[in-house]
Amino acid sequence: MESLHYLLNGLSIAIQPFNLFFAFFGCLIGTLVGVLPGIGPISGVALLIPVTATMTSGLPMEQAATSSIILLAGVYYGAMYGGSTTAILINTPGENSSVCTTLDGYQMAKQGRAGAALAICAIGSFAAGLIATAGLVFLAQPLSEVALKFGPSAEFSLMILGLCALSGLAGKSVTKALIMTVLGLLLAVVGVDPITGVARLTFGYSELYSGIEFLTIAVGMFAIAEVFKTILTSDYVSGEVIKVGKVMPTRKDLKDSAMPILRGSLIGFFKGIVPGSGATLASFLAYLVEKKVSKNKENFGKGAIEGVAAPEAANNAAAGGAMIPLLTLGIPGTGTTAVLMGALIMYNITPGPLLFQDHPQMAWGLIASMIVGNFMLLILNLPLVKVFAKVIETPPKYLIPGIIAVSIFGVYAVQLSVFNLLLMIASGVAAYYLAKNDYPIAPAVLGLILGPMIENNLRRAMNLYNGDYSMFLKDPVSLVFLIIAFLWIAVPVFLKYRGKNVITEEEGV
Amino acid sequence: MNAEKSSGSSPQIYRKEVVKTVNKTFDRYASIVFLVLGISLFFYSQTMKASVGSVVGPEILPLFFSVALIILSIINLVASIRSKAENKKGEKLEYKKFFIILISTIIYSLLIEPLGYVITTFAFLMVTFQTMERGKYIQSAIIAAAMSFGVYYLYVEVAKGSLPGLPSFLGF
Repeated sequence: MESLHYLLNGLSIAIQPFNLFFAFFGCLIGTLVGVLPGIGPISGVALLIPVTATMTSGLPMEQAATSSIILLAGVYYGAMYGGSTTAILINTPGENSSVCTTLDGYQMAKQGRAGAALAICAIGSFAAGLIATAGLVFLAQPLSEVALKFGPSAEFSLMILGLCALSGLAGKSVTKALIMTVLGLLLAVVGVDPITGVARLTFGYSELYSGIEFLTIAVGMFAIAEVFKTILTSDYVSGEVIKVGKVMPTRKDLKDSAMPILRGSLIGFFKGIVPGSGATLASFLAYLVEKKVSKNKENFGKGAIEGVAAPEAANNAAAGGAMIPLLTLGIPGTGTTAVLMGALIMYNITPGPLLFQDHPQMAWGLIASMIVGNFMLLILNLPLVKVFAKVIETPPKYLIPGIIAVSIFGVYAVQLSVFNLLLMIASGVAAYYLAKNDYPIAPAVLGLILGPMIENNLRRAMNLYNGDYSMFLKDPVSLVFLIIAFLWIAVPVFLKYRGKNVITEEEGV
Repeated sequence: MNAEKSSGSSPQIYRKEVVKTVNKTFDRYASIVFLVLGISLFFYSQTMKASVGSVVGPEILPLFFSVALIILSIINLVASIRSKAENKKGEKLEYKKFFIILISTIIYSLLIEPLGYVITTFAFLMVTFQTMERGKYIQSAIIAAAMSFGVYYLYVEVAKGSLPGLPSFLGF
């Protein structure tokens, strides 16, 4: 029960007033991000990185990183709560992961049961959050201990696997996803090579010597691109919001949704662990499973509470599960965890097997704060859901320019350079057009983050094996990773070739 | 699967569905751009030789990635030519609004240092608020002023961060 001991230690960090405030602030912003259409969890997290960097600027590095990541993770799972509110009240998912919730949630709201649906969402999300965190507690330490035994060649191959996993499921076309991955990796090459001192692809711009800043690209490609898309397609929320009514669910509602919540949580958690398949796929799968096992299938789509409970539990559990590969292996499986990883790297903390050894305070503080945060979200969401429902009515007239202004402020405050502002705008325009034509953005950002680490591991491995590239195939662990990576790309292509439908994860823009 | 959510009997459809068909023209141009990029990077990376250093020189990864990009863009180009999918129909997009806001954002970025944060932010917000929707000038001005002064005050005075203040020629 070593893990429980660590967890208690983490709890003592998580309940420090400063961190408690950060968790609360993160959960609150996350819920708002979830409620507001036009801004998803990725752009929410990306936009808050500069804000947290400012708020923690006076603290020692590790403490600052702990508080920041507590806040940013709060935004991530908070958004999963908030996304359901709009799904139920106006039939518009605040996030892609809440698409399933609209099917039965909106029907319930039309029948005057909006309060019950919202309450079940909050309760289901809460239970799922706790289940996922429990899984994280027990899996994180053992997994990272296994990962510690990996040599540099295995670590290199693991990163290749991470990139392939995200690309294989990231969009309609694997080719396009891979192109985006390679573009991200090429962006990572820009700058002065840390080992040899050679300037690569800088074209004489001194701003580029330190490399392309992850923050600039993340805010540009997610937040700015999303705003541009909203403006161009007039994708605003308007019209009436259904009255919430009584928020408490009945005893029967609770009884009906207990098992779906449990099943949804488990599906979500395991789906979340697998890189490349995040909250959206998990919620779809949970909905389909409920429909299969339910005795009254005809109720689905007409306001079945099971159809609300299961997907909402699944998307929250997936958010928790996705933290596992990020923290233990350093492989973010979703766009949002990739952005979280970039944030940690900004604080000189590299997620991966060494995290639990080198920064146990941070790792366990974060895990414990997720438990605390889920309690906060439950308290925030049950009584305050009517307040959040009001937020939906924020006029886009003010919201859209506001998001741009916050992006400009954030990037400028951290980088203090106009060059980075222009780069942010350019990457926003590029990302809008690319995403619109099914070139997924998340793999590019992941490539940008993993690029330097891939090069680093490649060098360590080659120094060890005297430049013998065949070592990647001779090291059995490395070979297994490469085979899985290959299958991850090849199987969907093969299935598509055979005319099968492959469900893909769509996150962000 | 996205089609399901708005095609129901619901009277309130808020999000216009972006029609998801293949834009073959875009794919073709994009592939050619990526192909050219890959080829030029391939030759450019040959120049990145290091005199000192490691077994893995600075040119290895760029070289490898550029080859990958060349192969992938050729596959994508062939796929877009052979594709039998419907070409994307022109959707009605709010280009005017978009360009005004885009250009305002660029001007905002360029002027933030010479004119200072407060003035440029206020001006940017006023212009974009009115671009989004005409009218309610006083409300817009109050919100724009609150945001520009509020952020500046909180960040510079409270958090002791650094933002360009008022322009020096005003004599402050």
